[in-house]
Amino acid sequence: MAAPLLLAPALVALLIFVVMPLLWVARTSFNQGVDGAYMVSAMTMDNYVRFLGSSWYLINTLWFSIRIAIVATVISVLLGYPVALFIAQTRGLQKSILMTMVLAPLLIGLVTLVYGWIVIFRGGGLLNSLMIAIGVYDEPVRYMWDLKGVVILLVYIGMPYIVLSLLDSIERINPSFVEAARNVGANRWRAFWSITFPLTLPGLYAGLVIVFTLNFSAFAVPLMVGANDTQMIGLVIYREALLNNDLPFASSLSVIMILANATILTGMAFLFGKLILNRLEAKR
Amino acid sequence: MMRLDLGALALRLVTYLAMGFLFFPILITIMVSVNPQEFILPPSGFTLEWFRQAWTSDTFVRAMGVSLWLGVAATLIANALAFMVVLAMVRYDFRGKALINLLIMSPLLIPTTIFSLALYVFFARLGFGSGIPALVIGHSIHVLPFAVRILTASMQNFDLSLEEAARNVGAGPVRTMFSITLPVIRTGLISSLVLCFVLSWNDFPISVFLAPAGWTPLPVELFSYIKFQYDAVGAALASSLILISIVVMVVIDRLAGLRRVLR
Repeated sequence: MAAPLLLAPALVALLIFVVMPLLWVARTSFNQGVDGAYMVSAMTMDNYVRFLGSSWYLINTLWFSIRIAIVATVISVLLGYPVALFIAQTRGLQKSILMTMVLAPLLIGLVTLVYGWIVIFRGGGLLNSLMIAIGVYDEPVRYMWDLKGVVILLVYIGMPYIVLSLLDSIERINPSFVEAARNVGANRWRAFWSITFPLTLPGLYAGLVIVFTLNFSAFAVPLMVGANDTQMIGLVIYREALLNNDLPFASSLSVIMILANATILTGMAFLFGKLILNRLEAKR
Repeated sequence: MMRLDLGALALRLVTYLAMGFLFFPILITIMVSVNPQEFILPPSGFTLEWFRQAWTSDTFVRAMGVSLWLGVAATLIANALAFMVVLAMVRYDFRGKALINLLIMSPLLIPTTIFSLALYVFFARLGFGSGIPALVIGHSIHVLPFAVRILTASMQNFDLSLEEAARNVGAGPVRTMFSITLPVIRTGLISSLVLCFVLSWNDFPISVFLAPAGWTPLPVELFSYIKFQYDAVGAALASSLILISIVVMVVIDRLAGLRRVLR
């Protein structure tokens, strides 16, 4: 009797303000957008055709977002994996400090973090001044309001999630496994690839799911440091909804984004499942 | 043997490089904000002038007021809801628990872009568009899963016989709640309140979709500011936000453990 009463407020709030809005987005995606006015209720595929039928949108928005998300995710893993391995070996204060540094970008707001990057990267900024002063190049190079800036920032906010998910699975590994492998003559490299790495695959997958989704749907990062040619799908959704006031088109883009993301994650799950199975069989 | 040491060394090196990558922009922001000569590094001295200007700027102070109200409202709503949810989930057994848990954690699983757009479209349908109610609701729901997670951890360790003892000596349910339950879980509760507030205070994506004109939270205001100028006053404001966030991180780490909370 008491449990339903306690749960009711939160569940009602979530149904009204999460589930219903999402369903409403799905419904809105079939409506007709009207220039300069609120949309007209309809049942049309126009919004989907407008996006999926345009090779420009497919190449410069959908495929572009997927590519950026893959690149940023891979770099996050390449950086995050060694960091997680290292932090797992530390103890006490050193561990606390390292963890705080890794997690800081998650808690400090994006705008605040972007400020520092702009100071470093803008045309007359630190990096350019330094490079020109020591004679690496003569003219300022464009880092911000460019693809490079978007990728750098996506890695910056994605890497902490990779480290967090990996750290959990690394710390769960029984150290005697690695020790056993070393005792029968495996060097550290071999012990890592045959023991540690396979056991961290589930953690790696969990991290990849979070970070890929974050990167693929990003709109704040390309909005802040992107250029006109960095039309990631999240940014197009933001622009269509808030600047062009085309809610049906923005909604259909969201549906396409969710479906594309689900498809990619399913493919990745399949790949990881195979990878884990292969590892198990190789050991038999 | 040589190769092994090289491996360990490489690991350490990559970690330090990554840490540098994570911390460099933060360090630079702080350096710029206390440097008397704008943007000329290395710093030629120390000044709090930029901080004074940032904290007395009308635009920023108004935006801080907005963020403060928004953060407090979202924190209180989310924690009230979360507290009831956690009481039910930890103390009662019922069917469909996994499904309910999934629904409660769903705000974490949905990309912020989609969640913000959904609320925007939904409130536009109701005739509000972006507005204070939409903004407060968006923030409350966004931080709800974090509150549930922290409070669950502290309620699971709760010794029920404490409440029983209070009841036995004649305390009613309300009295028991305030003099036994809440004090016992206070570290979890404080961590949850602080974390929810900071997440709301620093949020940009939800606010930019849902904030009404004339009621702009600080991160959105800072964003429109740095779109046009990168002066040391902006750096001072960014530094203030960084320092507040770091203090909060240390507090949460002491009370509840940062890792468990953010995952």
